[in-house]
Amino acid sequence: MSKRMGLEEAVQSFVKDGDVLTFSGNALHRAPMAFVRELVRQNKQQLQVAKTAAALDVDLLCAFGLMDTVHAGFVSYETKYGLASYYRKAVEAGQVKANEHACYTVICALRGAVMNVPFMPVHGLKYGDLLVENDYFMVVENPFEESAEENPGDEVERVTLVKTIRPDLAVIHAHMCDEEGNAIIHGAQYEDILISRAAKRVVITAETVVKKGKLNSGAEKVDIPGFLVDAVVHVPNGAKPCSCEGKYDVQDMELRTFLETKSMEDLRSWVKTYEKADRSFIGKGRNSGGVRSW
Amino acid sequence: MVMYEGNVHSTNKEWQISDLMTCVIARLLKDRETVFHGVSSHLPMVAMQLAKQLHAPNLVHLNIPGGVNPTSLRETTYSSAGPDLLRSAESSFSLAEVFDLSMRGKLDVAFLGGIQFDVKGNVNASTIGPYKKPKVRLPGGAGSAVLIPTAKKAIIWRTKHDRRTFVEDVDFVTTRGNLWKIVTPLCVFGYRDGRLMLDAIHPNTTVEEVQENTGFKLQYDHIEYTKAPTREEMGVLRRVDPKNVRSLEF
Repeated sequence: MSKRMGLEEAVQSFVKDGDVLTFSGNALHRAPMAFVRELVRQNKQQLQVAKTAAALDVDLLCAFGLMDTVHAGFVSYETKYGLASYYRKAVEAGQVKANEHACYTVICALRGAVMNVPFMPVHGLKYGDLLVENDYFMVVENPFEESAEENPGDEVERVTLVKTIRPDLAVIHAHMCDEEGNAIIHGAQYEDILISRAAKRVVITAETVVKKGKLNSGAEKVDIPGFLVDAVVHVPNGAKPCSCEGKYDVQDMELRTFLETKSMEDLRSWVKTYEKADRSFIGKGRNSGGVRSW
Repeated sequence: MVMYEGNVHSTNKEWQISDLMTCVIARLLKDRETVFHGVSSHLPMVAMQLAKQLHAPNLVHLNIPGGVNPTSLRETTYSSAGPDLLRSAESSFSLAEVFDLSMRGKLDVAFLGGIQFDVKGNVNASTIGPYKKPKVRLPGGAGSAVLIPTAKKAIIWRTKHDRRTFVEDVDFVTTRGNLWKIVTPLCVFGYRDGRLMLDAIHPNTTVEEVQENTGFKLQYDHIEYTKAPTREEMGVLRRVDPKNVRSLEF
C-alpha cells in the first residue's frame, strides 16, 4: 500500500495543535526542515518538541510563536553560528517552557515510550538543580534493596527516574525510502531509530522515494521498517539549510539569512523562498495542479 | 580591572592561545583511554587527534555522530557533531551507546562545556537568573548532567576567563561530580577536596592577572607554568587541523 502524500496533506493529517513532536538529526544535521516550515505555513500552535540537541528546527518554531515546550539537552547552533536567539528570547519572555534534560535523559524518556512504561530509571543524574526544579525527574529508593530494613545503618541506594515522553509524531528526513515507508538513512543516524519506535506515528520525508521492491539494498539495510511508518513524503532537499550526509552540507548563506532576520516579514519571506520546492511533490508524482508545472 | 576576553593572539609569533590550550588538553589524555566530546567542541576534538598522533595512539575517540576513531578532521568545519566524523571512522558507536558506556563506568574522559563555574566545582550551563524565569536562557548542559558524575574524569575547557565565568556561587547547578580539570586561556584549575585549585598558569600570564579575572580567591599548593607548545606539537597540530578549527570559539 502506497503511503505517499504531499507535504501539505501530511501536516494536515498528522499534526494537530498541542502535539508532542520529535525530529530526526542533531543540531544542524538532517533536521526535517521542509516539514517544520510546513508547520509554520499551516500555523500549528502550542507545539512541543523532544530532541537531544536541537537548533534551527526549534528556533524557527519559536520565531513564529508556535512552540509551547521544548524537552531537550541542548538548544543552540554550533560555535560559528551562535545561539538560538528566537528560542532564547521566547524562554526569557516566558512564552516557551524550557524543560532542560541531559541529552541522555531525553533518550531514556523515549526508551520509556518504546517499552511502554511510565518512567525509566536513569543512572548518572545524581546532583544539581535539574533534579530540584523539574517535575519530570524523581529520586526514589531502590525498591529491591533488601538491606534497608534489616540493616538500618546502611545507606539505601537512590535511583533517579525520568518520566516517559511519548511523542505523538516522529518526523524523520531519510535519504531513501519506498512508497510503503521502508527507509534508509546514510551515515550518522543520531537518535532516529529510537524516535521511530517511540512515537505514536511516523512520517518519513525523503530525498528519494521508489516503488515497493525497488530499494535494491537488502532487508538488513533498511533502518526503519515500513510497517512503523504512516506517511511518506518525497521532498528532495528537505533538510536544507541543514546538512544531509552525502547529499548536501549546511547551506551557509540560507542559514545566515535566517539568523539575520529582523522582523516577521523577513521570517515569512525566508519560509516563502522554500515553498515551491518543499511542496513540489504530491501523492504519486510531481505537483502539477496549479502550484507549479515543470 | 582588565577583563580578559579570550584573545586568540598571544604575545609571541610561534603559537596562539588556542594552540596552547589544545596542547595542554592533549597532554592530559593517556593512551588507551576512551574519550568523548560533544557539539561545539572543536578544541578538545583537535586535542584528541593531537594526542593520538603523539603519545596516545590507542586513545579511543568517541563522538555524537557515532564515529569511532575518525582518521581525519580535514572535512570538519562548523560542526563537531557532523556526519564527517563517521565517514572516516573505523566503526560506529551511537551517542546513546556512549552514554550507556559512561553509566557502566567505562568512559575514561568526557569533555564538557559550561558558562559559569564556582569554587566548589559546580557547573552552570542552564540559566542566568531563576531557572523558570531566566534573565538569560543558555543552550543547556547537553550530556553534562549525566557525564560529569559518571565519566572517570571530566575535563572542561572554556575560552573565556573572567569574573562572570569563575564565580563564588553559580546561578544554577546544572551538575557537579567527577570534574578533574578546567582549562582556560589563562590557567588550569584542578578539582580537589571539593574545591577548584590553581594547578598551573600559562606562560602568557601571571598569578595576579589570573586572580584579577577570577571571582573567587585562588588557592594553590605551588604554582607551575604550563609548557609552551613544542615545535613537534605545533607541527602535528598544523597537520591534523589545517583549517584551524581549534580557534573557532575565540
